[in-house]
Amino acid sequence: MINYIVRRFINLIPTFILATLLAWIVVELAPGDFASQFAFDQVDPNKAERIRELLGLNLPWWKRYFFWLRNLVTDFNLGISMTTKNDVTILVIPRMLNSLYLALPALILVYIIAIPIGVYSALRQYSIGDRFLTVFSLIGLAIPNFFLALIVLAFSVQWFQAYGFFLIPTGGMTSTNFSELSFWGKTLDFGWHLIAPVLVVALSGLAGLTRIMRGQMLDVMGQDYIRTARAKGLPEKSVTYKHGLRNAILVIIATIGSTLPDLLLGAGTVEFVMRWPGITPLFIRSIFAADVYVVMALLTIAVVLLMIGNLISDLALALVDPRIRY
Amino acid sequence: MADITKPQTKQEIETAEAKAVRSAKSESLYSIAWKQFRKHPLARLALTILAILYTVSAFADFIAPYPERYLNARATFQPPTKIQFRDADGRLTRPYVYKQTKSIDMETFQEVWTVDTSRQYPIKFFVRRDNVLDRYVPFPVNLIPVGIRNRLGIKPWASLHLFGVDDPSDQVKIYLWGSDDVGGDVFGKILFGGRISLTIGIIGSLVAIAIGMAMGGLAGFFGGWIDELIMRLVEALSAIPTIFLLLALSAIFYPLNWPPIYVFVAIVVSLALIGWGGIARSVRGLVLSLREQEFTFAAKALGANNWRVILRHLLPQTFSYVIVVMSLIIPGYILFESVLSFYGLGIQPPATSWGLMLNTAQSFAGVTGLTERWWIFIPGIFIFVSVLTWNLLGDGLRDAFDPRSRK
Repeated sequence: MINYIVRRFINLIPTFILATLLAWIVVELAPGDFASQFAFDQVDPNKAERIRELLGLNLPWWKRYFFWLRNLVTDFNLGISMTTKNDVTILVIPRMLNSLYLALPALILVYIIAIPIGVYSALRQYSIGDRFLTVFSLIGLAIPNFFLALIVLAFSVQWFQAYGFFLIPTGGMTSTNFSELSFWGKTLDFGWHLIAPVLVVALSGLAGLTRIMRGQMLDVMGQDYIRTARAKGLPEKSVTYKHGLRNAILVIIATIGSTLPDLLLGAGTVEFVMRWPGITPLFIRSIFAADVYVVMALLTIAVVLLMIGNLISDLALALVDPRIRY
Repeated sequence: MADITKPQTKQEIETAEAKAVRSAKSESLYSIAWKQFRKHPLARLALTILAILYTVSAFADFIAPYPERYLNARATFQPPTKIQFRDADGRLTRPYVYKQTKSIDMETFQEVWTVDTSRQYPIKFFVRRDNVLDRYVPFPVNLIPVGIRNRLGIKPWASLHLFGVDDPSDQVKIYLWGSDDVGGDVFGKILFGGRISLTIGIIGSLVAIAIGMAMGGLAGFFGGWIDELIMRLVEALSAIPTIFLLLALSAIFYPLNWPPIYVFVAIVVSLALIGWGGIARSVRGLVLSLREQEFTFAAKALGANNWRVILRHLLPQTFSYVIVVMSLIIPGYILFESVLSFYGLGIQPPATSWGLMLNTAQSFAGVTGLTERWWIFIPGIFIFVSVLTWNLLGDGLRDAFDPRSRK
């Protein structure tokens, strides 16, 4: 097993380098750079050139990629943001945490709701409840996140206009008077702002996972060992929950590793609409401003998250499923 | 692979037997799949809805009362025009509309639209509006790029619209689903936007599948270092999160202020670039297993060269897989395009797409709530319906091609 883990880890390195190289090329292909906006500076016509030299933007792209990679590997330095002149790490980490505050509760919510619903649907296949839930999950899959977020936002404003107070906030992470609140006040305020975006993010993940859980449970309940268990004369409850559910659920739990990055990045549009200061709004702002290192930093973090998440999922699957050999 | 459904009546059994005797040839995979597909009511409904959506968007110029680039600074956020069927005495008449006028409420400083019932403006069908702005190139011809059209000397145009208001002064506008921030007709814009939103998925998935099949086929058939190279590339691509890669790709063409058709192509290429990897991986697996089967050896023994084996024997075997995959990735691409345009990184005005229209909704509607200006959320419903129906169609196709789910 350890051998396998080590091998998988070593395998990640070339993938990581190739992925960041590809990302770098894509970012590099964008016309113009950060200095282009100063190209027509009236006072100082050489400003753009000077900034280019200062930031090293006049070097060939592969050289800059090499420097960037070396800095990243040797002292975990992701470069300096050109717009805020801050260390990218300082800029990105709070954003990352904000996104996690959104994604983690959504993840927990998704798993808590999806598993029972999936099991119910599988055990009562083609019943009215199952059909209703199938339609519901199809609808959940088809509604764009940002559309739902927009509707929730508009609903919030509507509520305010009708009753004079906010049932749910109109976006943002904290209220304007946040700094004056006590500790518990702050927690409550934060939680209040969290409700709507978490629900919207969770709904999109929910629809997909319910379908997977249902399929998994149906698959397991059709296996020979379930028939054996029934033939032994075990009560149906024990067959379902001890032999069926435990086997079906293992696979779902093992996919947490790859679901978290999905939710984290899938929440992007919700962050955008609800003005949640997460990673996607920063990413888009940086793309508009050609702030290459911030874009690269976020891409790199996302790549690492996705790779680690998938690795954890694979390892967890290999651990719980004896049929998978490594 | 014969159809195994049992005939019901004696007569049917006889005809079925007679048929079996007459045609020893078995049914093709596609006719079986079609028969299976027709048993799937939801998928059939989805197909019908999609057919309507696509047809209506194709003839958008004709159905929409105003052209795509129509602006009207005097009618921003005009509520939907109510079509009246009864006159003042309550009798049925030909449909007509009232004029809507804008005024400012001096207490709240908000725009208020009032209906002026003093005069009726009848709706006319099949109207011709023969000014330059209202002319358009009718549907099948407008698919040919303008450059080629001009070179060939094809310059047809039409000015016929399905309906319009009979108003000589041209003051009264008919906005079935209201107007947006620049006074554009939301109903018409949805039809025009559908052209982009609905076709981008199909074309994008076709390109992705073409690349994916070529790469996967090469990797699976030749193996060795080609396989290693392609699969490494696929792995690296799949390690970059789709939506971030798409946004980074859009940054390449976004600042160039390209004309809409170039942007369209750029989005298609971006979608294909992010999507081909998964297809290549599956096609490679399929080819790897097909390569070892008897018919491949037979073809080789008969002297077929590699290309013939790939093109005539291996690729056709993957078509049913491709049809299913295509219908399942199209909804994803529709969503990706809408997200991209929603961020303002995709389709740019004056062209329009459903995502872009929701961008307008995002910037203007957040302050007024749901009941005022509700009509600018309508494009979202269209995204939802098209994604839902494509998903249903994909499910139906997957079941139709899957021998295990046959009834």
